[in-house]
Amino acid sequence: MLTTVVRVAIIYIIVLFLYRLMGKRQLGQMQPFELVLTLIIADLATIPMAEVSVPVLEGIVPLFTLVILHFIITVSCKVSTKFSHFVSGKPVIVINPNGIDYKALKNLNLSIDDITEAVRGAGYFKLEQVQYAIMETNGKMSVFPKSEFAPATIGDLKLEVEKSALPINLVSEGKILKENLSVAKVDENYITNLLKKADIKKVKDCLILTIDKGGSVFVQAFGEAYKTFKVEPLGQVQE
Amino acid sequence: MTKFMWFQLVSIFVILALLITICAVEDKLVSDALSSVSEYCYQIENAMLENDGIKNNEVNSLVENLEESWLSNERSLCYIVNHKSIQEIGVEIIKLKTYIEEDDIKEFSVSLELIKLYSEQYNHFMGANFKNIL
Repeated sequence: MLTTVVRVAIIYIIVLFLYRLMGKRQLGQMQPFELVLTLIIADLATIPMAEVSVPVLEGIVPLFTLVILHFIITVSCKVSTKFSHFVSGKPVIVINPNGIDYKALKNLNLSIDDITEAVRGAGYFKLEQVQYAIMETNGKMSVFPKSEFAPATIGDLKLEVEKSALPINLVSEGKILKENLSVAKVDENYITNLLKKADIKKVKDCLILTIDKGGSVFVQAFGEAYKTFKVEPLGQVQE
Repeated sequence: MTKFMWFQLVSIFVILALLITICAVEDKLVSDALSSVSEYCYQIENAMLENDGIKNNEVNSLVENLEESWLSNERSLCYIVNHKSIQEIGVEIIKLKTYIEEDDIKEFSVSLELIKLYSEQYNHFMGANFKNIL
C-alpha cells in the first residue's frame, strides 16, 4: 500500500506540473484537441497508479510525449493560421441577417434545436432578435443581437456614473493579505481602524474585508452579518 | 518573452532531453540484459553437449552465473519495463537449478529453450520497428 501511496503522489505531482505547463484553460474553453489530450492524460495517469507491476516511467513517458506533441501543435497553431484552422476549425456564422444558415448547420452537424437552445442560453428567446450567431471553435455559441434588442448600456443612456473599481481584498479568513496592502497603498493600522469602525476587535475575528477606490468598505466578522460603510476615498488605489 | 513562456520552453527542452535519455537507457538495458541471457543459454547448451549431461561443475557454475547476471539486470529493468513481462525468465532460471539437482535433462532443456524463447520474444517486442509501432 505504501508503494501505491508514493506512486500516486509522484504521478499526481507530475500531472499537476504538466497541466500547469500547458496553461490555464477551463473545460469549456478547450479546443477539441485539448479536450482529447486532457482525457488521454487522465487515462494514462491511472495505469501506473492502479497497477503496481507497471513502472511509473511507463506511465510518465507517454505523458511527456503528449505534452511535447501538444507544445509543437500549439506553437504551430500560433505560427500558421491555416494549421490552426485545420486543427481547431474556424468560427462559423450559423445565423446571419437572412436567418439560419442551414448549410453551415449541416456542416457543423447541428440541429435547429441546438441553435435555438444556444440562442436561449445567450438570453434571446426569439430568433428574430439575433443579428449574428457564431459557432466558436471551442463549441460555444456567440450571439450578436440586433441593435433594438441589445441591452442598453450606461454609454447608450449617456449617464454619468462613478468609475467602477475592483474591490481589493485586505483581510481574508482572519489574515491580512500583505501583498494587497501595497496595491491599496495602506498599512496594517489602516485595517485596524476599519475593523474598529465595524466593531471588530481583532483581525483574526474578521472573515473578509474589502475596499475599493471610492472608499466603499465591505466587512464581515465570523458568524455575523456583513456591514458596508464609506470611508475617505483611497485615491491611490491602482485600478 | 514572458516568464511563463521561458518556463514552458525550458520545461519542454528538459522533458525532451529526459525522453531521449529514457529511450536510450531503456534500449541499452534491455538489449544488454537479454543478449546476456541468450549468451549464457548457448554456453550452457554447449557445456551440456561437451560434458554429456547437466550434473557437472561447468553447467552448474554457468547456471549460477546466469542467475546472478539476470538478477542484477532485472533490478534495472524493473524501472522501465512491466514486471510481469519479464518475470517468466526469472522463474525458468530458478527452475534450472532444481533440474540440475534432480539430473532431469529433459525438463532442463525445456526450461533452457523457454528462457531463449522469452528473451528473443521480449527483445523483438521491445524493439522499435515498424511492426511494433503499428
